Amino acid sequence: MSLSRRSFALGASLAAVGGVAGCKRAVRDDKGRIRLRLWFSLGGRNREVLLEIVKRFHATQDEIHVEPVYQGDYFESLAKLRTAIAAKAAPALSHVVAEVVPYLARASTLEPLDGYPGMKEIPFVAALAQSGGFRGGGERPLYGIPLNRSTPLMYCNGDIFAKEGLRPPTTWKDLVDTAKTLTRPGTRWGHEVPISWWFWVALVGQAGGVVFDEAGRATLGDEAGVRALRLWQDLVHRDKAMRPPPGRDYDAWNVVNQDFLGGRAAFIWTSTAYIRYLEDNAKFPVVAAPLPRDVRASVPTGGTFFVVVKQAPDEEKVAAARFLRFFCEAEQAAYLSTRTGYLPITTPAAAKMRADGFFAKHPNDDVAQAQLAHVDPWPWEPLLFRIERDIVDPRLEEAVLLDRDASSVLAEARALAARPG
Amino acid sequence: MLGPSLAAWALFVFVPLGLAAYESLFAWDMLTDPVYVGGANYAAIAESGELGRILGRTLGFSVLVVSGSMALGLGLALLLDRPGRFFAFVRGAIFSAYVVSWVAVALLWVLLLDPDRGVAAALLRAFGLPRVGFLTDPHAALVTLAAVTIWKITGYAMVVFLAGLRSVPQSLHEAASLDGAGPIARFRWVTWPLLKPTAAFVATTSLIVSFQAFDVVRIMTGGGPARATTLFVYAIYEQVFMNLSVGRASALAVVYFLVLCVLAAAQLRAWRSQTVGRRA
Repeated sequence: MSLSRRSFALGASLAAVGGVAGCKRAVRDDKGRIRLRLWFSLGGRNREVLLEIVKRFHATQDEIHVEPVYQGDYFESLAKLRTAIAAKAAPALSHVVAEVVPYLARASTLEPLDGYPGMKEIPFVAALAQSGGFRGGGERPLYGIPLNRSTPLMYCNGDIFAKEGLRPPTTWKDLVDTAKTLTRPGTRWGHEVPISWWFWVALVGQAGGVVFDEAGRATLGDEAGVRALRLWQDLVHRDKAMRPPPGRDYDAWNVVNQDFLGGRAAFIWTSTAYIRYLEDNAKFPVVAAPLPRDVRASVPTGGTFFVVVKQAPDEEKVAAARFLRFFCEAEQAAYLSTRTGYLPITTPAAAKMRADGFFAKHPNDDVAQAQLAHVDPWPWEPLLFRIERDIVDPRLEEAVLLDRDASSVLAEARALAARPG
Repeated sequence: MLGPSLAAWALFVFVPLGLAAYESLFAWDMLTDPVYVGGANYAAIAESGELGRILGRTLGFSVLVVSGSMALGLGLALLLDRPGRFFAFVRGAIFSAYVVSWVAVALLWVLLLDPDRGVAAALLRAFGLPRVGFLTDPHAALVTLAAVTIWKITGYAMVVFLAGLRSVPQSLHEAASLDGAGPIARFRWVTWPLLKPTAAFVATTSLIVSFQAFDVVRIMTGGGPARATTLFVYAIYEQVFMNLSVGRASALAVVYFLVLCVLAAAQLRAWRSQTVGRRA
């Protein structure tokens, strides 16, 4: 039995919001410019860069006025966006984590952008765009425009590695040995990484697995998933060479960064997005290296895509497409990348950065670029995000902290993934 | 006369409850069409053991909060029920925690309990005690949240107990003293029996606070580590806003309502038996 969304929502508890949404939306401001509402979830320097690009956009024209509004971290922002869409009060432009795009697309909430002038011609770096970031992403309507895209990267404390005469680990065995060698109980952990889906997916890929098979079943890597989880469990509980950072989501990521900067972790895995931050704040040389391989090299992509909300007024959607084209120009894309550590999203931007000598001066960014050759695309799977958040992420944390049997934890997760509510 | 308040109750309590019960029978994410799944949402949360764990955690948290805040509130009230500016200042200082917002309290305690840089960690180091992950150890986190909650609401319990203590006639204490009763006997046979209705009120309000716990979880632990602090209200929030599952969140909300009904009935029964006992 299936009800229409409209009839169901009529009875739902959104009446109050619906009342607000019923108010006429002012598409133009008092100067006659189109008001382009942009919800974003970037903080610190990333936020400064985005706002600078908005400022540059305003300097090039006076028909569209972008109104950026900060909405909390990625997950808070997504919760607000969904609620706003349901209440028909969403902004025209927002950005969401990559794994959410298929879900929002299936819900028919996203505007296909192929038909807007110039959008199909943007020369994206395939691995970071919808076409190469998702299996079969290029065969679908264009829903997502890459904003800030990243992969996991390994960062080593150059001083510690030099003192011990070590090189960044290149295999899982190396990783374990190096972590054990560099651990000083009570003062320093050899290795640290957020216990999180993204890094586990990297390990699964390196162990030769995939989280979803070609038929769309959530295999969670099968045996590779178990091996990936056991690697962490052994590092934490048997080798005592890795600290599982406390906190959830980006709290844990922040702890990892702070432990690295404070010399309490010799080498960490985190996002390429932190290259500039770590380089600028470390009192030691930061040496980036590709993630080590097990049976093969593999990294997932992360970060977010711009999406245009389908229900927004046409004028705002056209304005959004125009802003996105500006955003994707080499000047802007290179600016974002050089100032943050996010990967350049278009080939002209990457070429410009190379021609300007940026990669020669910033070898860590070059390592991140080279690692793009090993990107494993996400499945175009609407349930991907829910399986990540609801089923896998909390179980990874439980399995690592409480040393639960990896095989049965993932078997339980697979069973639940087969019937998410 | 009852019309307006009944209408308000219907609008803000019964209708939302009915909708939650209805929505719990669907798989729905707010954006796609809802699909009728009958009791599958209930089965899913029960079979995975999630419901039992959430319920156990919430009840455990409530027991700690209710017993802790009552014991401390009563103890402080007995200790501070004295005239003078100093005692008035101490009473005010303890009560002040109750009026501070939950967000501020939670953020303050996150800093104090930081396992590396917090005051608690420094104290442990000073006494040569091992490092404790107050908010990061799955075995310690729930107790820590309960302790913070107790710290916040004890001032309120103390003030209510103080009011209760002052309503106990002094003449009864004097009579008991003349009969040779010491302080403990006077508390046991005079103060406590007359304080029971106050204690029941404090227990009820503490229970409500503990079952409503959300801010403290959201800010201090986000339900972790390893879901060790995912209490009922936070679990509902997480299901609907983070995991995109309105149906499952509604199923949890319905169960939550039923649990509250059972607790309220038990409380009412206890109150009634007490009232009947006093009248007899």
